[in-house]
Amino acid sequence: MNLDVIISYIPLYIEAFILTVKIGWLGILLALVIGLFAAFVMHFKIPFLSGISLVYIELFRNTPLLVQLFFIYFGLPKVGLTISAETCGFVGLGLLGGSYMAEVFRSGLESVPKSQTESALALGLSRKQLFLSVILPQAISQSVPGILANVIFLLKETSVFSAISLMDLMFTAKDLIGLYYDTTEALFLLVIFYIIMLLPVSVIGSIIEKKARFRTLGV
Amino acid sequence: MGFEVLLKGNNMLRLLTGLGVSLKISFVSVAISIVLGVILGILMALKNPVITVISRVYLEIVRIMPQMVLLFIVYFGTTKALGISLEAETAAVIVFSFWGTAEMADLVRGALLSIPAIQYESSISLGLNRLQTYRYVIVPQIIRRMIPLSINLITRMIKTTSLVMMIGIVEVLKVGQQIIEANRKASPTAAFGVFLVIFLLYFIACWPISMLSRYLEKKWEN
Amino acid sequence: MKKNNLKKILAATLTLALGVATLTGCGSASAKEGSAEQTSSDASATQEQSDSKVYRTLDEIKESGEINIGVFSDKNPFGYVDENGEYQGYDVYFANKLGEDLGVKINFVSTEAASRVEYLETGKVDIVLANFTVTEERAEKVDFALPYMNVALGVVSPKDKVIKDLSEIKPDDQVIVISGTTAETYLEKNYPDIKLQKFDTYATAKTSFENGTGVAWANDNTEVIAYAIENPGYEVGIPSLGSQDTIAPAVSKGNSTLLDWINGEIESLGKENFFHADYEATLIDTYGKDYEETLVVEGGKVADTSSEASSDSSEEASSAASSDAAEASTEASSAK
Repeated sequence: MNLDVIISYIPLYIEAFILTVKIGWLGILLALVIGLFAAFVMHFKIPFLSGISLVYIELFRNTPLLVQLFFIYFGLPKVGLTISAETCGFVGLGLLGGSYMAEVFRSGLESVPKSQTESALALGLSRKQLFLSVILPQAISQSVPGILANVIFLLKETSVFSAISLMDLMFTAKDLIGLYYDTTEALFLLVIFYIIMLLPVSVIGSIIEKKARFRTLGV
Repeated sequence: MGFEVLLKGNNMLRLLTGLGVSLKISFVSVAISIVLGVILGILMALKNPVITVISRVYLEIVRIMPQMVLLFIVYFGTTKALGISLEAETAAVIVFSFWGTAEMADLVRGALLSIPAIQYESSISLGLNRLQTYRYVIVPQIIRRMIPLSINLITRMIKTTSLVMMIGIVEVLKVGQQIIEANRKASPTAAFGVFLVIFLLYFIACWPISMLSRYLEKKWEN
Repeated sequence: MKKNNLKKILAATLTLALGVATLTGCGSASAKEGSAEQTSSDASATQEQSDSKVYRTLDEIKESGEINIGVFSDKNPFGYVDENGEYQGYDVYFANKLGEDLGVKINFVSTEAASRVEYLETGKVDIVLANFTVTEERAEKVDFALPYMNVALGVVSPKDKVIKDLSEIKPDDQVIVISGTTAETYLEKNYPDIKLQKFDTYATAKTSFENGTGVAWANDNTEVIAYAIENPGYEVGIPSLGSQDTIAPAVSKGNSTLLDWINGEIESLGKENFFHADYEATLIDTYGKDYEETLVVEGGKVADTSSEASSDSSEEASSAASSDAAEASTEASSAK
């Protein structure tokens, strides 16, 4: 490995890192919003919307992000809907993630025992109070490990952004290999930057997961 | 809308053959992952400190490295570093098995540890010997827990195989691109039809499998 | 209870059987690969690790009865796959001839622009015949044979907003390039301020260009000219950019037996005007007759100037378009 090459590449990787993190986290935020909404309408069996949510979840959970992005970025403009690569990456990740998050939130909502609803209503809480201050907090805290697992999954999925010309970490590595043929150095930096991006999330995830486990054990 | 291009020549058949390539890679990888994962999972459940440390590092690598990065390292990196030339499909199977084994091992370990010690004790006190305990009590429970999750792994494998296009394997997405390219003049909107069909093909391949996994999981829950 | 158990065991054996079946399927496949790899690993074992031989010599290829040739599968009309799944195009026509004369079966490997050097460096293909422009940087990594085509860079843009000079590109505009092509290298080096939108395949780059995400597409001029001819809404505003280059077959660094054989082949094919026949079989539908003398390099001998090429062809054949290209190229070189 050539140290000079590595040093000269670092600024490019930092640029790509910022883009990857930015679009990745924006996508995750969108995924949380979509997921919560879809889980909500399905849990309360809101007519029509819950049907759509079900179809959406099944479609996006059972297809790869790469194919989704290809369809959104290259296919949709053919019928008049053109969006920029960055928007496509963010929306694509949000849609994929939303379908995974929805499942997590849904099982979180289901984990709150029915008896709590009954007792809260008996105590005189309104439906809104019941949902916002009794069910939702418990459902979310139940969902935390699942959410974190999905966050890691989605951050990893950003590596397919390269296919739609986003200069993310993966694309930068591929591009540098194609331009200067220093394969080892380019791949080495790629691994390093993914570790920087994901190791902290993974470690925090494990810590929280352990705590959550204790809570469910009733400690 | 660009669907007509799929009716030309063998185009639809080619697309399906491309999907076949992805399916083949995922099934081979899942099979390898199950075998190696079960072995590793049992080893991990033994709680040997050395194995624990090694397996923790291994699982963490799999957890944080995108499969695409691993594909590039194995496909291009190994040849440079070790001087072995791998076929793209072999590289893909290695990477997906590397990933699947970790997932399976973690599941097996979890399933093994989730069986309370009292079950072993009561089986013995009922007069079963060790072999019988495993044969009639422990293994059936583990299998029940494992099968839905392993089936679920198959769908995730299939979805992930869409990445192998990036290391030059001609699978369904690449065939789709070739079709779009060869018919750019005659069917300018082919990109819409072709990518939509590929999207649906993946759905048709994965959805029944994930339904099966969910069904089994529900059925064996209690 | 008993029945339930039986079912479970059945399920378990089924999964196991499935696993074993797929495993053995894989085993036989890898055994096949193994035999091909063995020859190279045997050979490399005798050499040092640092210069371990990744390539196969001419004799090894002949012995195996198969040659791996890297071509584009999405670059119409040079290398693409038709609706019957057959590889076609100018590069492929030449590849087929090489296979025929070697007396071996051809195994086409679909490559992307950015991985062409990798494929040779790692011995995944024996020859790259994928519109590979000869450059100094590449020649350090691979060995080029004699050329068979002329090329320069070109820029195509939509007719209603034709870009005739790179200075017309506004700071926010994006120019589409394909990763790993000479166009990318040239623009990165000489016009670092132009924003590039990079794709890794021809198919995605062209589709995206059609979808209007970039103001122009920079690539080999052969490619952009073909694109403008086939797509009426587009015009090649800059027909020639950078230096006049050539396209040649490439082999792994040091594979002299194969290289010499290809060179001999190109020279002898020149005597039968093979590349003109190739042009007429694969490119004439796209370019017409006009570009034949400008594009084709016969017998590995590049005509010194384009004027020689045009004097060669009959007066009426040297069209406005080709002389335009020649003019632009002299302008470009004088500007440098």
